[in-house]
Amino acid sequence: MARELRSPVPAAPSRVATTRRGGRAIRLPEGPFAWLLVAPALAVIVAVVAAPLAYSLWLSFTDVNLLRTTGPAVELFGMRLPLYRWVGLKNYLQIFDDPLYWASLWRTLYFVGAFVIEATLVGLGVALVLNERFAGRPLMRSLLLVPWSLSRVVVGLLWIGILDFEFGAFNGYMQRLGLLSGSIAFFKDGFSALNVLVSVYMWNQAPFATLLFLAGMQSISEDLYAAAEVDGAGYWQRFRYVTLPALRPILFLVLVLCTVNGFLMLDLIYVLTMGGPANETTTISWLGFQTSFAFFKFGPGTAILYTLTGLCLLLTFLYHRLILARFEPEA
Amino acid sequence: MSPISRRRFLGTAGMLGAGAMLAAEGALRPARADKPINFSGWVFKPDTVKDYVDFYNKKYAGQVKYEAIPWPNYHPTMETRAFSGEIVDVMYCTHNNRERWFENGLLRPIDDLPGADELKKKMTPANLDSLKSKDGSKLLGLPYFTSLFVLIYNEPMLQQAGIKAPAKSWDELVEHCAKLKKDKVSDTPYLPNWNNSPSGTMPQFMSDCFSDGANVFDAKNRVIVDQEPGAARAMERWQKVYKAELVNPEVLTKTSSTDTHRIFWTGRYAYHTNHSYYLKTIAGEPENSKLAPKKAKLANYPGNGQSYMWTDSYVLNAKSKALEDAWKLTKFLGGNLNGDWYVQRQWCLISGLDNPYPEMYDHPDIIASYDRWIDLKLLREQYKKGRVIAAYKEPWYGEYDTKAVAIVHNLIRGGTTVPKGLKELAALQKSLA
Repeated sequence: MARELRSPVPAAPSRVATTRRGGRAIRLPEGPFAWLLVAPALAVIVAVVAAPLAYSLWLSFTDVNLLRTTGPAVELFGMRLPLYRWVGLKNYLQIFDDPLYWASLWRTLYFVGAFVIEATLVGLGVALVLNERFAGRPLMRSLLLVPWSLSRVVVGLLWIGILDFEFGAFNGYMQRLGLLSGSIAFFKDGFSALNVLVSVYMWNQAPFATLLFLAGMQSISEDLYAAAEVDGAGYWQRFRYVTLPALRPILFLVLVLCTVNGFLMLDLIYVLTMGGPANETTTISWLGFQTSFAFFKFGPGTAILYTLTGLCLLLTFLYHRLILARFEPEA
Repeated sequence: MSPISRRRFLGTAGMLGAGAMLAAEGALRPARADKPINFSGWVFKPDTVKDYVDFYNKKYAGQVKYEAIPWPNYHPTMETRAFSGEIVDVMYCTHNNRERWFENGLLRPIDDLPGADELKKKMTPANLDSLKSKDGSKLLGLPYFTSLFVLIYNEPMLQQAGIKAPAKSWDELVEHCAKLKKDKVSDTPYLPNWNNSPSGTMPQFMSDCFSDGANVFDAKNRVIVDQEPGAARAMERWQKVYKAELVNPEVLTKTSSTDTHRIFWTGRYAYHTNHSYYLKTIAGEPENSKLAPKKAKLANYPGNGQSYMWTDSYVLNAKSKALEDAWKLTKFLGGNLNGDWYVQRQWCLISGLDNPYPEMYDHPDIIASYDRWIDLKLLREQYKKGRVIAAYKEPWYGEYDTKAVAIVHNLIRGGTTVPKGLKELAALQKSLA
């Protein structure tokens, strides 16, 4: 007997929406009605996201002086927004001509690369451990979040307390244990200081990666592991052929978040090195911050930071192509 | 008990009601200043500031609202507020932002205000110059504090090494440090203020150049250190002490002068150069410093004794709608309202923050207070040798001052030769001017 097929979802809404005004029904086509519903949300997004973004992008093409009170301006909700002098690509050309920009860019790429690799590997490793059953696992999972939940200024101060040449706990304990005769100066040269920054930031951010990986692992069906075991797969084979492929979307997310966070990291530099010694820990975000807020050059400052935005978008696109392009989610 | 008549009841109730209304309206309180005043400063002992603002409001019937803003973004925040139309009547302003605020109309000169001329006469000429506009014609604010670079030494450590008196010359200082290291009294005996912030390396650089008889800027505020033998001598000495590992190798990445001076608290260093107001915590706070009380001493700055001096200030907003009251508050903060140096004296007593009014230092409370941590007479002598610059009034100065740190750090670590490093400094200034 042929069974009547029923759609599992409710019937599609009619193509015309009806609303009432003053007791009279007003019939609106579906399209305008949908726009009407999302309009408040769109207005908020335009006001708090799109407009500031557009304004800051425009600033990167102008000669900004915050204190200027004369000249052309637009009045918006009682606030005067000066229309600074348009200088075209001058700010961008100026920063591209600065050797410090390029040195900071290569340093940023090193920082981001090292941080993404460290945070991803450590995050994944810890997630694998915490995915196993052992006594104290719930406590370990809770403690895991502590570094991530700390403010970055606190993280910086904490690690100064550990690594400092004069006061640092690390040097103190090593000397007491007789493992060191003098103190190690972790911040003495730029490369060492940069690697300390990478590791401290990884310590702060890896727990979040762990959390994401752990959530991904717990959504993998046990049946897949059981089937792999029946086929004779060992631990590493199960990891290679079951866990990793299933974690691909999570891996994409972790890589994108770590990359963006790595590019934008500023507060630890502020607390630990201020870009020194001799600019050797100056990254693009620090350079942009300094240019804007120390030199009050908001035009070149925003231009520097927009090149960073461009890089983030480019890398996100690349990750998407490399990791998700051939990934097809299960139906 | 006699009954209360209706008339008496109404009369009493009416009087009570009127009294309550008058109290609520403030008619029974002292007269208030005409308009409320907004006052902002960067975070430094905000509770102390709040206390004296409360004192002012009570004593002078003021309506001052105080707000402390974190130091790192203080000046950009104030500019952004001005940009949005907010008027902060009285503001802190560092020496190197004053001219910029003046040129852009954020602050107003105070020469024409009542009592300004008397205060000018009471200030030391060098500090007065530094508070003036670039062309020297306008006074842009009243002093919040003044400071200069000083040399501090650890007396017990020198005694332990058999050194009878602190170094009088830079060569002697290096000699002492080498001996202390060789005798294993200290691993790193010298702690210069080479930190990475604007208050560290470059003011220290200027101080050591001045003390070696070098000019850093010419009369037109151009950097001329590449032509000054004294600057080359100072930098050769810096390279020497760094190479000989006589200094803390991490001092280059310290993020503030405050962090740097705290290292000296440990008592593991023989000599330290830093801002004069750190004398108070180093030699006067036993709860923090192992060199207190008075184990750390002030010495004459080596060489010719000159060092870099600066004056930070209170300024008046050019758009203040309550100029009279704002000026009254500014005089209370940076001068002697009604003849009382209350705030200036409080800063001396509480934090060892100095001011450019010499007559203040005759006050018995101040003499007694300084005596608990340092030789006040020697400090006053040091102030007479303080040198101010005018270059910070140039629009390029902030950027030069920050970017120059990397060049000097490179120079210290031997990444470049002294002549080349000094030429780079001059070239940097030229590129920004």
